[in-house]
Amino acid sequence: MPMILAPTATLGTSALQLRRTLPDLSGKVVGFIDNTKPNFNFLADDLGDLLIKKFGVRNVIKQRKHSSSRAASEKLMAAMVESCDAVIIGSGD
Amino acid sequence: MAVIPHPFGPRTRPEITQLAQAIVADVARILCNPGTTGTAGRNESTPTVRPHLIEAPDDYEEMNAFFRQRQWGDGLPLVPPTQERVARMLQYTQRSPEEVVATVAPGFGQATVEHIAINAVLAGCSPPFLPLLIAAVEAVSAPEFNLQSVQTTTNPATPWLIVSGPVTRQLQINSGINCLGQGTWANAVLGRALRLILQNIGGGLPEVMDRATHGQPGKYSFCCAENEDGNPWEPLHIEHGHAPEHSTVTVVAAAGTLNINTHAKDVTDLLRMIADAMCYAASNDYRAEGGGEPWVVLSPEHAEILKQAGLTKAGVKARLWELSRMPAHLMAKKDLIRTQHNRRAELGELSPDSLVPISATPELIGILVAGGPGGHSVYIPSYGNTRSVTRRVDTTCNK
Repeated sequence: MPMILAPTATLGTSALQLRRTLPDLSGKVVGFIDNTKPNFNFLADDLGDLLIKKFGVRNVIKQRKHSSSRAASEKLMAAMVESCDAVIIGSGD
Repeated sequence: MAVIPHPFGPRTRPEITQLAQAIVADVARILCNPGTTGTAGRNESTPTVRPHLIEAPDDYEEMNAFFRQRQWGDGLPLVPPTQERVARMLQYTQRSPEEVVATVAPGFGQATVEHIAINAVLAGCSPPFLPLLIAAVEAVSAPEFNLQSVQTTTNPATPWLIVSGPVTRQLQINSGINCLGQGTWANAVLGRALRLILQNIGGGLPEVMDRATHGQPGKYSFCCAENEDGNPWEPLHIEHGHAPEHSTVTVVAAAGTLNINTHAKDVTDLLRMIADAMCYAASNDYRAEGGGEPWVVLSPEHAEILKQAGLTKAGVKARLWELSRMPAHLMAKKDLIRTQHNRRAELGELSPDSLVPISATPELIGILVAGGPGGHSVYIPSYGNTRSVTRRVDTTCNK
């Protein structure tokens, strides 16, 4: 049996906290980063209203990226982290 | 998970409200449920992992089935990356096999010199091709290329490799007849090797992180060289600030190719034909933030007509930039809204009669002279939110 070298590299392995956990949403601030994909702004509007009405969210903050194919600016991310307890960062298509 | 079935973009406003009502409980649950620690992200500080040595079947068909099972390829047969073949490849660089050339999005795998060499063998490359591939990996990983988006988008974009300088002849890279087609070893395997690197090191597997709606044939291989003999202007590598004796590779996130067949001999006619090909309303270039960076591959015949009319390369760019301005009303309403959002800072408010430039400046239109005889040039639209990147090919080796 011939021996060969695998062409794959280990993908990114740095620990990444994907979610901030909350005991509940009552009184919390939820952010949406509109990634400019079609209709995400409307979905964010509706979800924001429902989170306030049904789950006691205190406030919803919405910001928009310049482009879906560019990462959100560090300034925008920092502002959202500062202002929000949880952030939803877009939708795919 | 909160899942909204595809397609989402074309839904009506009332449908979106219904969808929001259907998923809000899931969204609330996800926001509150215990978090998890992911494993995706840049890993420049992660210790380098040497490639695994593994047993593969002896039989040719079985070996290729083994490769396919592991999703290491592009669908075509592969060359086994044995230690001996990889060692021969590594003789063509002075860089250490363990050196990390770049981390490759979207999976941010570490592209060590050795991993690049393995994929080069896998693609069928000759050992002297390695330095060019190393430069190409550096180029696609530069932030302005926006590889994370290029690799994951529904757009068919893929890196196109343009080689300029003496290395073109040394490696026998085709710059003439059928240079974007089949039949030349170097063109075929260099583009293929970069694709395998993007897939095996970057994690850009089709249907996993590569979400292209259709893709394009150029995703198998997309590589050519500049036709310096047929180019009446300064070579591309000199235009990019490199010395005549140096060679470069330029990467462009190309969305496809469009043939421009015209027997126009009049310079105004010819420029109008090219600009008309560039100016299509569904183009990413017009709607990207800051405009795009489209490319025109001029045949030597067309380039000569432009040169004889007294135009420099910069002059051609300036004329095409003006002629390719698009009336905003040609765009779909939703596309115009996105264009307005993306380019407001640059262009201000757009009206239906606004003439939208394809790029922020004429200089951002790329011009390459390549191909053989014939009245054909090629338009290569870009992904839009990307910029081409040029890197010098280091041909000093310790062989």
